Amino acid sequence: MVDQQLLIDEVKKVVSRDDVKCVIGYKKGTSGFTISPAFAYSTEYVDKFIFNPLCKKNLAAYPLLEDKLPLKREEKEDKRKIGIVAKGCDTRALVQIIQEKGLKREDLVIIGIPCSGVIDYKKITAMFPNEEAYSTIEEEQGFYKISINGKVHEIAKEELLADYCTSCIAPNPVIYDVLIGEEVEHWDLEEHKNLDVLEEKDVGARWEYWKEHFDRCIRCYACREACPLCYCKECMADLLNPQWIRRSVNLSENTAWNIMRAYHLAGRCVGCGECESVCPVNIPLMELNKEIEKDVKNMFEYSAGMDSEEKPLFGTFRPDDPEEFIM
Amino acid sequence: MENLILQKDKLPELIEKLSSNHVLYGPTEENGFSLFKQISNFDELNLKYLLTRVSPKSLIFKQTETLFKFTPGRKGTVTTAEVYEEKSIIFAIRPCDARSFKILDPVFEGNFEDPFYISKRKNTVLIGLTCNSPEKNCFCTSFDDSPGSTENVDILFTDLDDKFFVEVVTEKGKNLIKSIEDIFEKSTKNDEDSKRNIVTNSVENITRKMDLDGLVPKLDKMFDHELWHNTAQKCIGCGICTYLCPTCHCFDMQDESSLREGARIRVWDSCMYPEYTHHASGHNPRAIRMSRVRNRVYHKFSYFPKNEDITACTGCGRCIDYCPVNIDIIDVIEKVGVISNE
Repeated sequence: MVDQQLLIDEVKKVVSRDDVKCVIGYKKGTSGFTISPAFAYSTEYVDKFIFNPLCKKNLAAYPLLEDKLPLKREEKEDKRKIGIVAKGCDTRALVQIIQEKGLKREDLVIIGIPCSGVIDYKKITAMFPNEEAYSTIEEEQGFYKISINGKVHEIAKEELLADYCTSCIAPNPVIYDVLIGEEVEHWDLEEHKNLDVLEEKDVGARWEYWKEHFDRCIRCYACREACPLCYCKECMADLLNPQWIRRSVNLSENTAWNIMRAYHLAGRCVGCGECESVCPVNIPLMELNKEIEKDVKNMFEYSAGMDSEEKPLFGTFRPDDPEEFIM
Repeated sequence: MENLILQKDKLPELIEKLSSNHVLYGPTEENGFSLFKQISNFDELNLKYLLTRVSPKSLIFKQTETLFKFTPGRKGTVTTAEVYEEKSIIFAIRPCDARSFKILDPVFEGNFEDPFYISKRKNTVLIGLTCNSPEKNCFCTSFDDSPGSTENVDILFTDLDDKFFVEVVTEKGKNLIKSIEDIFEKSTKNDEDSKRNIVTNSVENITRKMDLDGLVPKLDKMFDHELWHNTAQKCIGCGICTYLCPTCHCFDMQDESSLREGARIRVWDSCMYPEYTHHASGHNPRAIRMSRVRNRVYHKFSYFPKNEDITACTGCGRCIDYCPVNIDIIDVIEKVGVISNE
């Protein structure tokens, strides 16, 4: 459990610093179980900040998403730091971006949150499809206690826990400036759901499986926009000359897009599950990401975003790197 | 024509009959949600979900439409794509989604007539289904619409537990029913009352409301307000809101070709993308997310009502339900109201 008051106090301290521009955190959404990203430029707004198991969204995408207007004459760019509330996986994303020199460590103030797993929004809305609001949600000894309209529902944690949290290697922030509360214990890691089932299928059956999913894709690119590691200034999928991926929405182009997205995250994906959780047509993207993560781990003994001093996987070479795939 | 009754056990027969001489679209189960797909028997139909995830605008204004095909070179040819003339039915379309066509019609049938849209629209019968249990982000009533409205459908079904109450609204609807009249029964005054009660109950269950009063002049005064920056700073710039929306209709045109052949296609575009309105010169009038988010709101609630005398929103709630960062259009419009009253 994260102490809400402690969080608010710490965020207030950070946002009052002269060298900090704003702090990005979470607040309650407008309806149901939604959570909204919150931006505080001064202390008065911080009282709305919360952290509960619904705060799944990885905010690490925001420092790179900032809208920058052209500067007016004699105006100077506001280069102050950005504060960010971050769970373990979110800090892994920040570390990975820092490794890739997308962000500088000194430009961030990281308010770390020890996390014991987050709730899958799709699971909780399936369980309570039409709830207009909840008042509190707490985790206690393997259960989530959700109070709705004065009634407390006790739901076993595994029923609502996001699938990707069971294979999380960083429940605690890997880097931070302030830590809210005590570190949590690591749990026994499980392989991501469905990977073993998929691996046992032959190539034909696997293709059938993915064909069905990719056929549904509407190419809204929410997977790309939500991903903190998809921060290319111009995505290859948007290029017109040469046009690597056509704009036609059909199985062929959708497959090209989804495979390309997954491979561009090889050795970079931190497993936060943003892509899958935002997908409006429920494509199990984490199964692709986790399979690649597993290969990367087996072949190169590498996990993305764990150490900001380390070099990115594709920026390193060891003479004994496996090379069976080279003809 | 009088109102009719269809016993529930006759539904499979209805589906079979309709699909025998029409392309029949109905909601089908799809990995935890529903989508409109072509169906030919009752087992494929799934009425468990209130709304399909992608709106049925995609059946008339397709996400990808081939306009013409061409071959290169001195002997090159251009062949216009055939206009789709098949008789179709959209079964179990909700009144809000049916209303979206009223909003889309002036776009594709107005100054420039789009043969692809018009032919599909003309050849499609809309069979509506009353919403017995609206969901938390439904707000069709804000647009003087109703969960049991017959205004934009050809036929409306209402679920009365063991049977459907069937209202035949238009000539198109009458002609369709005529050929399969024998599976229906006559309805009574009681059935009419039951429908009215269901609709009254549904209307009461719609809790969210958007205040449209004087919205156009209010928006006129606040184009440069910081609200747009504050709303847009959490926008991640994906296309969910616009692609799931039943009324968004911006499109892009592209030539896609190989060495031997090519086609000009039309695909959905989204004002949330950086390349939307990006000029060939390199200039982009909507270079930042703030102006793109603002454009979505202004297009629906200011430009469109000014041009076509109708607000380009049906109150289906999809953009609220599936926005990954909780940009809630009712909340945004509420803030516009608060700011204007200050």
